[in-house]
Amino acid sequence: MKAGGWLVLVLGLVAGLAGGMYYAWNINPVEYVDTAPASLRPDFKAAYLTLIASAYAANRDLARAEARLALFPDPNPAETLAALAQQLLASGVPSDEARALALLASDLAAGPATPAMVTPESPAPTMSPFPTLTPTRTATPPPTRTPTVTPGAPFELSSQEQICDPLLATPLLQVAVRDAAGQPVPGIEVVVIWDAGQDHFFTGLKPELGLGYGDFAMTEGVTYTLQLAHSNEPITGLTAEDCVGSEGDLFLGSWRLTFVQP
Amino acid sequence: MRSGRALPLSMRSLLPLLLLGLVAGLVVGVLYGWVVQPVEYVDTTPDTLRADYRTDYVLMVAEAYAGESDLGLARVRLAALGPQQPVDRVVAAIEYGIDHAFPRPDLDTLNRLAVALRAVSPTAEIGSP
Repeated sequence: MKAGGWLVLVLGLVAGLAGGMYYAWNINPVEYVDTAPASLRPDFKAAYLTLIASAYAANRDLARAEARLALFPDPNPAETLAALAQQLLASGVPSDEARALALLASDLAAGPATPAMVTPESPAPTMSPFPTLTPTRTATPPPTRTPTVTPGAPFELSSQEQICDPLLATPLLQVAVRDAAGQPVPGIEVVVIWDAGQDHFFTGLKPELGLGYGDFAMTEGVTYTLQLAHSNEPITGLTAEDCVGSEGDLFLGSWRLTFVQP
Repeated sequence: MRSGRALPLSMRSLLPLLLLGLVAGLVVGVLYGWVVQPVEYVDTTPDTLRADYRTDYVLMVAEAYAGESDLGLARVRLAALGPQQPVDRVVAAIEYGIDHAFPRPDLDTLNRLAVALRAVSPTAEIGSP
């Protein structure tokens, strides 16, 4: 073939290539109508994760929650959930969702459930035909269930001690919560009040420090009152007090308060 | 008939080459656009979820509702799936669950949400915050 022939062939190829790509990208692009949760926009992804946690708070099915979280390519979902809980708290979202996220984050950090490849496509095969497909007005409404992290008696202050740790850059109000069996309890809301305002946090958002652990950064010169959300026992007069270092230097100490369920 | 400005190759031999190039380029272009480098949808919305994921989403809403008893929140969550009526979404999930042998407790959970949604009259829905 002569040079002119090759030129025409190449011209045709280029024109066809351009036309094909234009067709594939603009006129008839690949349609993603059957997407996976991992491709969701970040805000929807956060809502999806929150929903996983809220569902988990209701059914306590860790294997199912893990299977749902596995839809997202996240090497450390517990950390992601804990961070999301902090974001929700900061944005003033109802604390139930933040508590659910904290609970799931803590339970994930505590250890994996029995491996179960539960996917929406492969439900358990032990299903019998569902008799009432069409809902009716006469059906009995579901019983009202208020999520409770730890049923039982209210938590009581077990110990209060000053922590003199020069490695802590900021004095902290450290809270540890344990149930009657001595096990750490995540998802407990702790309210901190001072003259100019109040804030709250949850146990279990720092699973590396313990599932029942939570803390709050204190400001020098401010006196705090701390109370567990479901307790009638406020702990008052908490102020960052001086500690003496090994070389006689002064630094602000923290408080560690341990609550237990009698 | 030849013109005075004759091309090195006749039109009869050029045309097939041009067409061949066009077709080959078209095929390669479409393959590239659909397979090698397709349009990427990285920021999708819940209404584009695949049917099984969508059903699981509805199931999660129902599970959360079972614990929270917050029908308004359940409706908001279902609204993310698109403009379809929330109760229709749940009924569709029940039908999917039946077709795919979901466990009975899951279907019960979905059904309770459907009942609660159906119990809310349209007037009450409009008036609710």
